Amino acid sequence: MGYNLLEALNVRVIGSGDRYLLLAHGLGTDQSVWQRILPLFTPSYRIILYDLACAGSVDPDYFDFSRYTSLHSYVDDLLNILKALGVDRCAYVGHSVSAMIGILASIRRPQLFSKLILIGASPRFLNDEDYHGGFELGEIEKVFSAMESNYEAWVNGFAPLAVGADVPTAVREFSRTLFNMRPDISLFVSRTVFNSDLRGVLGLVRVPCCVIQTARDVSVPASVAEYLRTHLGGRTTVEMLRTEGHLPHLTAPALLAQVLRRALAR
Amino acid sequence: MAGTSSNVHFHDIPDVVLATIFSLVTDTRTRNAMSLVCPKWHLLERSTRKSLTLRGNLRDLFLIPTCFRAVTDLDLSLLSPWGHPLLDSSPNPLLLAQLLRHAFPSVVSLIVYIRNPSTLHLLAPLWPGLRNIKLIRWHQRFPTLPLGTEFIALFEHCRMLSSLDISQFHCWTEDLPQAIEAYPMFAASLSQLNILKHSSAEGFKSHELLAITASCPNLHELLATCMFDHRFVGFVGDQTLLALASNCPCLSLLHLVDATSLSNVLRDPDDEGYTSEDASITNAILGDVFAGLPLLEVLVLDVCHNVRDAWPALELLNSRCPRLKSLKLGQFHGICRGIDSRPDGIALCQGLESLSIKNSADLTDTSLEAISLGCPRLSKFEVLGCKKITAKGVCKFTHVLRKTLVDVKISFCKNLNAVSSLQAMEPIRDRIERLHIDCVWDSVDNSANQTGSSTEGTRLIKKNKSHDVGNDNSFSSGTWSKLHHLSLWIAVGELLTPLSMAGLDDCPSLEEIEIKIEGDCRDQRRPCMASLGLRYLAGYPSLSRMLLDCSGVIGYALTAPPGYTDLSLWERFFLNGIENLNLNELNYWPAQDMDVNQRSLFLPAAALLAQCGSLRKLFIHGTANEHFMMFLLRIPTLRDVQLREDYYPAPENDTSTEMRVESCRRFEDALNSINRHIPD
Repeated sequence: MGYNLLEALNVRVIGSGDRYLLLAHGLGTDQSVWQRILPLFTPSYRIILYDLACAGSVDPDYFDFSRYTSLHSYVDDLLNILKALGVDRCAYVGHSVSAMIGILASIRRPQLFSKLILIGASPRFLNDEDYHGGFELGEIEKVFSAMESNYEAWVNGFAPLAVGADVPTAVREFSRTLFNMRPDISLFVSRTVFNSDLRGVLGLVRVPCCVIQTARDVSVPASVAEYLRTHLGGRTTVEMLRTEGHLPHLTAPALLAQVLRRALAR
Repeated sequence: MAGTSSNVHFHDIPDVVLATIFSLVTDTRTRNAMSLVCPKWHLLERSTRKSLTLRGNLRDLFLIPTCFRAVTDLDLSLLSPWGHPLLDSSPNPLLLAQLLRHAFPSVVSLIVYIRNPSTLHLLAPLWPGLRNIKLIRWHQRFPTLPLGTEFIALFEHCRMLSSLDISQFHCWTEDLPQAIEAYPMFAASLSQLNILKHSSAEGFKSHELLAITASCPNLHELLATCMFDHRFVGFVGDQTLLALASNCPCLSLLHLVDATSLSNVLRDPDDEGYTSEDASITNAILGDVFAGLPLLEVLVLDVCHNVRDAWPALELLNSRCPRLKSLKLGQFHGICRGIDSRPDGIALCQGLESLSIKNSADLTDTSLEAISLGCPRLSKFEVLGCKKITAKGVCKFTHVLRKTLVDVKISFCKNLNAVSSLQAMEPIRDRIERLHIDCVWDSVDNSANQTGSSTEGTRLIKKNKSHDVGNDNSFSSGTWSKLHHLSLWIAVGELLTPLSMAGLDDCPSLEEIEIKIEGDCRDQRRPCMASLGLRYLAGYPSLSRMLLDCSGVIGYALTAPPGYTDLSLWERFFLNGIENLNLNELNYWPAQDMDVNQRSLFLPAAALLAQCGSLRKLFIHGTANEHFMMFLLRIPTLRDVQLREDYYPAPENDTSTEMRVESCRRFEDALNSINRHIPD
């Protein structure tokens, strides 16, 4: 597909400083979700922002359904952007699915990231025998089948009223941002995300990591942060934010910025 | 008509007469049709078209047609992307500016969006004969810009300017006096000045107002936002008003509006109606002010702080300002005591055709009666936040004025709910053309029983029956034959459904409806019904235009705490059913998340709006992701769509990715693509 990657994914580099910092947004949002964090870091870092191919602000024609079948294509995009910008070392801050992408990217290019800061991250969302990911397969399937059983209505924007209000709390939080994407893309991407399981490769990460967890993130149980700390291959710390919700960069930017600064300094 | 066989053809009429006939046609679509008839008509139409609003994408500006050279009134503020710097996008702005001049050499009135100061530097020299200009900016002013720079560029080149409107132009109050004082000759010829501030709750200080008016002694019209609160530095009080009157004795229109009145602050309905502070305005001085303005025809004093016992000054108003036709008073008390049914105070202003009374705590039914007797020419009447008047009083009022009254607004009056307001309109039901009521459904006698959202509107209406005006046990069900504009206010969570049963079911001429929804939905759990009830408006056969303003609704866009609802669910609640109305034109203001300054469309709105099969024009006063906009292309008749972030502060491009230039271009290209066959 002959397109300019940097233009297609709305890549922007702002700020002044000698170190690069990449901010990667999560599902259903786009780079504007960092707007309250930006002013606190632009004086000291060159900040790279971009939109995931599935974001609502990217021309949906760029979303190739045959290509983005797993997280690896998103990793390709990320690495291609950094290559195009000529950046060979930067700090990485990723939220939700971007945390997963960051983990995979750092395994592929071990020298690229100086630090991985993961907000609201989880290696696997679905529960397993000894693992509590937060979501039961049954709950998720209910949402997906609601989307698929009336796919026409879904694609035309008539998300079942139930989703968002009457589904289990965990799913509701997740679905909230889900609906900001084009319906067919969001169904596709959420399947991709729920099918991903990074538990096996966590040990291959060599980069120092900081896992940031909010006091009550309904889509990421507290135990997941602990799981990450014990399984990530590099030196990993866990920071708890005294705020609730899945989007601390929107709800508590000052608090998050404090923690980010501390994490970036080490 | 007897057919005298004549071979006189329309084209035998002399051209001069034809041109006059054509120039009387103002409707744009009619003119467009006329210009397609034949080359002669095309020429005639183009040479008589005086007013033009450019809609199109900025990057196509070089393609401006040059056949509209007769245009005198030009609106450049609605080019796409809305709010984008006008000439900056081109690699050669000077050339583009010259093209504008070549295409529109006769421009005398201009409306333009000024994002950057450089725009005025480029535009002002193009039309030195400019007489009227309206500047618009909802984005922030560059903080480092020296005071008055933008105006100086304008005043330097457009020396013949007689009217300046910056009510929608965000700048600092200190900008204007600086520039006006630097160009005294220019200021002396200024005759209309609109310095209301719709963008922020700020007002001009007393010394700034006086500096401006001292430089502009020939002002005929002045509209300004100022501060009447005496605790603020630069408040406007007696001395300012006197000085203002002496600076500008030729004023025929004066609006002085307190800065707090332009913000949407819902008043607490339980207080007595008096503010905690009084304004520094006394009757004696007011009388002298009126004496200084003998040519006054329109007066608005929206003070927002008590002006007590105002009747002596208002009685003087009649003799000192004999031309006064329109009056609006905010927070004036004692305006008409109505003792012994003798007209006093405001009721002595017999020439009044339009009267608006806001927050007058002691306005009673007797006052209303006196006013109706004393002002027999009233055609427009507004009453807001007056707690003592009742439906009976309003009904008597409309009865006395039934020959002239055509425009009525009743809002936030404790004793008047929707049903009783409508009943009070009974005497003028067949005459009234414009009406505003608040959709308050609960019984007026039982104000403690504030039901949130009623699932049985019928039950409430029946409860109202026993508290009717004049013991009339039937609703004012009948035909509102002339009503063409209806405006409604409704609290968030309330339903529209009771409207049709409240007595407004038969409105054959109703073309336009305005609905304003307000409230904080961060506390409420969720809407209790599936929809607000827009579907019930389908009973109005002529309804074609709607303004749906949810900007007063505050909620969570993405960050609702667990268990609380997002704005997207409320959006579905508001818009559900809109596809049942045959709307031709819709203006929609989305609800807002104040924490992140976000007013945008979510999935439910995109999906529901896309179902409005007859929509031709859609203007969204907020932002929307590209893929949501693409939903709208399913509407076959959609011709004109724009995102207009006309609120302060308008989001800057680098913080809100929904407004990228490329997204706008892709959407508009798809909208205007030749594959879409839009019927004429």
